[in-house]
Amino acid sequence: MAIEGADIVKAAAFLGAGISMGLGAIGPGVGEGMAAAKACEAIGKNPREAGLLTRTMLVGQAVTESTGIYSLVISLLLLFVV
Amino acid sequence: MDELGKIHQLIVPLFGHNMTFNIGAIFMSWIVMIGLLIFGFLAARKRGIIPRPLQIVGELLVSQLFGIAEDALDEELSKKYAPMICALFMFLVLSNWIGIIPHMHEPTKDLNTPLSLGLMGFVIAHYAGIRAKGFKAYISGYFEPMFFMMPLNVIGELAKVVSISFRLFGNIMGGSIIIMVVSYLTYSLALPPLLNLFFGLFVGTIQAFVFTMLTVVYISVQVK
Amino acid sequence: MTDDIQYWIKVAQYTGASVSMGLGAIGAAIGEGHTAATANMAISRNPERGGEIFKNMLVGQAVAESAAIFSLVIAMVLLFSGEPLMKPITIWAFLGAGLCMGFGAIGSGIGAGYPGASACEGMARQPEAGRRLTTAMLIGSAVSQTTSIYALVIALILIFFDFSNMPFAPTWAALLGAGLSTGIAAFGPAIGEGLVAAACCEGIARNPSSATEVTNIMLLGQAVTETTGIYGLLVSFILLFKSFVPTDALAPAFALLSAGICMGLGAIGPGIGEGFTAKSTVSWIARNSSSRAELVRTMLVGQAVSESTGIYSFVIALILIFVI
Repeated sequence: MAIEGADIVKAAAFLGAGISMGLGAIGPGVGEGMAAAKACEAIGKNPREAGLLTRTMLVGQAVTESTGIYSLVISLLLLFVV
Repeated sequence: MDELGKIHQLIVPLFGHNMTFNIGAIFMSWIVMIGLLIFGFLAARKRGIIPRPLQIVGELLVSQLFGIAEDALDEELSKKYAPMICALFMFLVLSNWIGIIPHMHEPTKDLNTPLSLGLMGFVIAHYAGIRAKGFKAYISGYFEPMFFMMPLNVIGELAKVVSISFRLFGNIMGGSIIIMVVSYLTYSLALPPLLNLFFGLFVGTIQAFVFTMLTVVYISVQVK
Repeated sequence: MTDDIQYWIKVAQYTGASVSMGLGAIGAAIGEGHTAATANMAISRNPERGGEIFKNMLVGQAVAESAAIFSLVIAMVLLFSGEPLMKPITIWAFLGAGLCMGFGAIGSGIGAGYPGASACEGMARQPEAGRRLTTAMLIGSAVSQTTSIYALVIALILIFFDFSNMPFAPTWAALLGAGLSTGIAAFGPAIGEGLVAAACCEGIARNPSSATEVTNIMLLGQAVTETTGIYGLLVSFILLFKSFVPTDALAPAFALLSAGICMGLGAIGPGIGEGFTAKSTVSWIARNSSSRAELVRTMLVGQAVSESTGIYSFVIALILIFVI
């Protein structure tokens, strides 16, 4: 079983892709959950502003998610380009 | 389990390039569109003061979705974009639900469908932004709050397209793969229909709603 | 050489057993300690109800304990399941089983402790709601146990299923990845579901008449919170039962291992985050049930968006399995 350098590089790239996406998913998941939790709390206190609060929540979550997207992009690069 | 992840493709050579068509996605989205046309025709035919069931469904859908658009956009713009938003939601809901019929595939299971819908929303949002604010104000929006934030703002805008389309695609494809794997493992009559109910109807509706809401929110962010 | 492999299988058995029991004990201990601490506070607040609160604490701790008991079962099975003449693939199956059950028990232990604690607190505050609180606590903590049951199932499949007719080279990584996927993925949803169940007990104590409504919303929120855990289980099943092309190269094997790690880690964050969302929804529905429709809608939308990074992990894991 001869292991070549290119093989090791590929293996490392695949492992890196998995770890990058896996770890990168933790933060946005928790953060977006917190944003949604506070939005629910705010709607519970003031139900008349539900539309505005939901919109603000979605914008905030979209921004929070960007680090997850960066992880996704890096994973895809590691999988298909490197 | 080896048939997992396989798609039926039609490869047509054209001008020296191979054009690849995903037959499942294209054919199924035509079926969805025909279904929507039939629904629209039946719901709008013989309108009356005393509505029939289909008319009630149509009116409910349209009034709810117009309400969402009016919440997010102002009076004039919402009249302009609400029909598009209605069509988007109805197309997505029917696309996500159609997988519960045997031998039918969700067109949203193929990344191309959500991605093109996401790109459509992106283009519409930025067009609306330019129309509302003027080209100069639109461009200078990228240099807020500091001029060197420009690349980050551009990446952030592009990330929205990726996130909105991958979310829908992953949810629908994940649901259909779960149902396949469970049916393969158990051969049971009870579990796959329940999962179909959860992933097909429940998750499908929620994801269609989220996609539509996000498109509206992206438009409203660009306009304001 | 055959003797050598038998030694390594023994090593894998003992390592797997110790990892399973060691990691599995963490969560249950934290959860039970939390329950006991809150029960003490509750008894000091309302000593007349001490007996009832004490009983409730014991029931809550018993549920939290079951995660550690699953670990114990897997550790025992691993210790005593060695047969002579096993194939080298068994090494990785045993290691995967130990890791799977060890990681899988942490979250359920912690998560099942939350509803126990808040049920004890609620009994001190609102003694009339006692029986309803125990029922809600049992339902909620049973749901938060489900991910550790998934881990138990995967660990048992890894130990007892015969993988010896599969090609060694990529299968070793697939088995390890299958264990890690379900095991690590069990962590987040279990904690999230525990938080939801705790909010449900708190809400029932605050407003006992809303018990049915709050319990229903709790189950809905927990069902959505569970989805990333289900994705972890699914990736494990695919890794266990898909047939792979035999290969000597490292890269395909590492792709399978990486798929398991990716799905496992990616399920943690969304699980906890969706739990936060459902928790605050449940507790505000107990206070203000007139705006239930808006709250449930916002909860579902918020959870669907929080889940997206878990979905990205799932997509990457599937690419690693099927495309690479």
